[in-house]
Amino acid sequence: MTSPASGVTVPGMEAIVSRSALLQIEGVGKRFPGVQALDDVSLSIEAGEVHGLVGQNGAGKSTLVKCVSGVHPPDEGRIVFDGEAITTYTPKHAYDLGIAVVHQRTQLLPWLSVAENVLLGQMPAVKGLLINRREANELTRDLLARFKLDIDPETPVARLATPERQQVAIAKALFRRAKLLILDEPTAALDAERIERLFTLIEDLKREGVAVLYVSHHLEEVFRLADRITVLRDGKVVATRPARELSQTEVVTLMAGRRLEAIAGAGARQAGNGQAAVLEIDHVATGVLHDVHFSVHKGEVVGVTGVIGAGGHDIARVLFGLDKPRSGRVLLAGEPFSPRGPKQAIDRGLFMVPEDPSGQGLIPVLSVATNITLVDLPAITRLGVLALGREKQIARRFVERLKIATGSVDTAVRNLSGGTQQKVLVAKALQAQAQVLVLQEPTQGVDVHTKAEIHRIIRDLASEGKAVIVISTDIHDLLQFVDRVVALRGGRIVENVPAQDTSYAQILDVTVGAVAARAS
Amino acid sequence: MSTEAGTGTPEVASEAAAPPAAAVPPAGRPLRLRPKNVDVYAIWPVAVMIVIIAFTSTQSSHYLTVFNFENILSQIAPLGIVTMGQAILLVSAGLDLSVGYNIAFSSIVTGLLLEHGYPLGIAIAAGVAAATGVGFVNGVLAAQNRAHPFIITLGMSIFLFGLDTQLTGGAPVNDMRGLYTAFGGSLPSGPPFFGLPSLTIPLLVVVIVAYALLRWTPLGRRAYAIGGNEEAAYLSGIRVKRTKIYLYTLMGLLVGLTGMVLAGEINEASFNLAQNFELESIACAVIGGTALFGGRGGALRSLQGVALWGVVQNAIVFEGLSSNYQQMALGLIIVVAVMITRAQR
Repeated sequence: MTSPASGVTVPGMEAIVSRSALLQIEGVGKRFPGVQALDDVSLSIEAGEVHGLVGQNGAGKSTLVKCVSGVHPPDEGRIVFDGEAITTYTPKHAYDLGIAVVHQRTQLLPWLSVAENVLLGQMPAVKGLLINRREANELTRDLLARFKLDIDPETPVARLATPERQQVAIAKALFRRAKLLILDEPTAALDAERIERLFTLIEDLKREGVAVLYVSHHLEEVFRLADRITVLRDGKVVATRPARELSQTEVVTLMAGRRLEAIAGAGARQAGNGQAAVLEIDHVATGVLHDVHFSVHKGEVVGVTGVIGAGGHDIARVLFGLDKPRSGRVLLAGEPFSPRGPKQAIDRGLFMVPEDPSGQGLIPVLSVATNITLVDLPAITRLGVLALGREKQIARRFVERLKIATGSVDTAVRNLSGGTQQKVLVAKALQAQAQVLVLQEPTQGVDVHTKAEIHRIIRDLASEGKAVIVISTDIHDLLQFVDRVVALRGGRIVENVPAQDTSYAQILDVTVGAVAARAS
Repeated sequence: MSTEAGTGTPEVASEAAAPPAAAVPPAGRPLRLRPKNVDVYAIWPVAVMIVIIAFTSTQSSHYLTVFNFENILSQIAPLGIVTMGQAILLVSAGLDLSVGYNIAFSSIVTGLLLEHGYPLGIAIAAGVAAATGVGFVNGVLAAQNRAHPFIITLGMSIFLFGLDTQLTGGAPVNDMRGLYTAFGGSLPSGPPFFGLPSLTIPLLVVVIVAYALLRWTPLGRRAYAIGGNEEAAYLSGIRVKRTKIYLYTLMGLLVGLTGMVLAGEINEASFNLAQNFELESIACAVIGGTALFGGRGGALRSLQGVALWGVVQNAIVFEGLSSNYQQMALGLIIVVAVMITRAQR
């Protein structure tokens, strides 16, 4: 809050007109019906530079990425790449120029092999006719080795996990000798260890002269990697400055403008000690989990973390009746609890919020109101008939309470942003009237302010007496609002401590072991 | 016809504006046309119909007559009933390709029982139960999620074709007795029925039931949820398998009803009683804007598709063109309809 936002417009102007710029965006504007998505945006990226692009949801980051990668032609201004102004705006042209984008959800062809995806359209061939499979596989293996990724190049992409797919997408960009690599929220689906590998790779690429545009909500990542940071707000550049001249607090201030609220300290943390355990996971084992044992009290928020595959999501599956434990049992309010499926779990007072709001959590084509009430149809049914007025009333109450950014409760959920969808999902969880809530990755891909709001909502739920389990790979995020952290590694609990008695470094250390907890 | 379309408009528009939790005018406020809420995408079949009617009426003085429109109505009524069932299934991302031979199956069961001297009530009950049973089997198989309903119901359709021909030996049952009396004629003239074809009653009842089911019942809501995102529906505590079985069984019931209506109308039960009904009913629902992949659509929209289908067929006859042109026109309409529905998203 040192300088008012209006006073810091582009002090790095000299840098922008620098000669060696690989990418130069000059006064770019883009309008969509009803929104000025980008307004006179200028920035430059040099070869060998990692450039951080930050901003709240809706600030224009994605639109800017889409303009640069040829998806949307800008309405005004121009984009110069490698000394030449871009005149044709198509994704293919951008790719041919050497601009590669790796999205949050990667665009690969699932039924083709890893090698075919990486080398797509450029498979080495014998006499230009038959594909030389061995050479293709070797080429691919070499590229993947850079990530220390040991997967068979002939594996169909459909069989890979999300983080592996993302790495394949990066390998594809490398193969095309991309000069500019745009990474859009690259760590959203990665665990701590893979994040480290990605960072090492980015640093290598940088040394080789590749420019990287790093788009992320995770400021600590941006600060760790970026040489310069550009902050977007409401479609305008509010600052481009060398990272070392900025602090995280300053960036947050710039992103938020005058709307800054406290981002940490989501309320006093009272552990629910003294209260009886609502949920007891009693030495549960499945194919993945080994002897998992912990309990959750009334009014308590327990964070469960670990790298991807460590077992957090498996615990959720057991609790919601999607998997059966091989041994051990679960007690809910002292009674044995082994639901046959979600319906029974919900009836008993336990609700799970899935990880991916538009994939598993919500029904994209249906309205906000329909989605919220779906979990409890009896609440809006009178004599076998749906009371649509009552349904809207319920939805409006949640929209108000959770500040869900939607024009109307009739809006289809797919028209809402990721953060707003998360909130609709929280509303649905509340409507489920559950005593125990299991939330998976509730803040994934959400901007800092929505994150803070979600933290606050979860704290509120706990203070209303609900028991909450938050399963997340984002340790930083968890430590901000949970009472206790349960850390998993290889399906076993390696740590179960009150949040105030631990640190990011400690949890990272116990969950990934050999990988040292560097930088905060 | 045009007045009918006029009163249909506001409901149709609001249904399209935000399905399915659409804004029904709040209780107490009269239903009225609000141009602001009219969605062109939702009512284009009505618009096209009006153009066709206006044009054809200049071609023949016999066209714009009560008799002709009653004729259209009785032609589309059986298809309309099945289309309502098909629309409900499509909303849940299912479909039923066995309806054609299942309609025939129910008529044959009823026809054979009548031939053997069983009372009408028993014959009808058995025919409807037979079709409903087929629907139930479709539902149980579809609920397993081992194969797409396209394949399951296609298999059922081929099976029923064999069964139908086996039961009748290929020769139709030619006397439907009381059924013909019920559905072969017209309602009394003068208010309140104005001599409309008697098929109008079952059609009207089914349309109302389908509309209410999709909009105002938990079952309809579950159908939209499953069609929109089956996994999310399951994780919301919806019993997906059970719901699918209900929906396919309901389809079987509507098929049985169609079998009775159709066999009564033409006084015949045979394996080719309802040829092409499976594809025509899907086509009509799609023309009306019901999505093939679930989650969107409704009863009134699908009814528009049926009406357009009937009007186009009839108009081509009035233009003195061969029935080959009907097929060509209908083929074009289907493709255009899907493109319009797509443009809407």
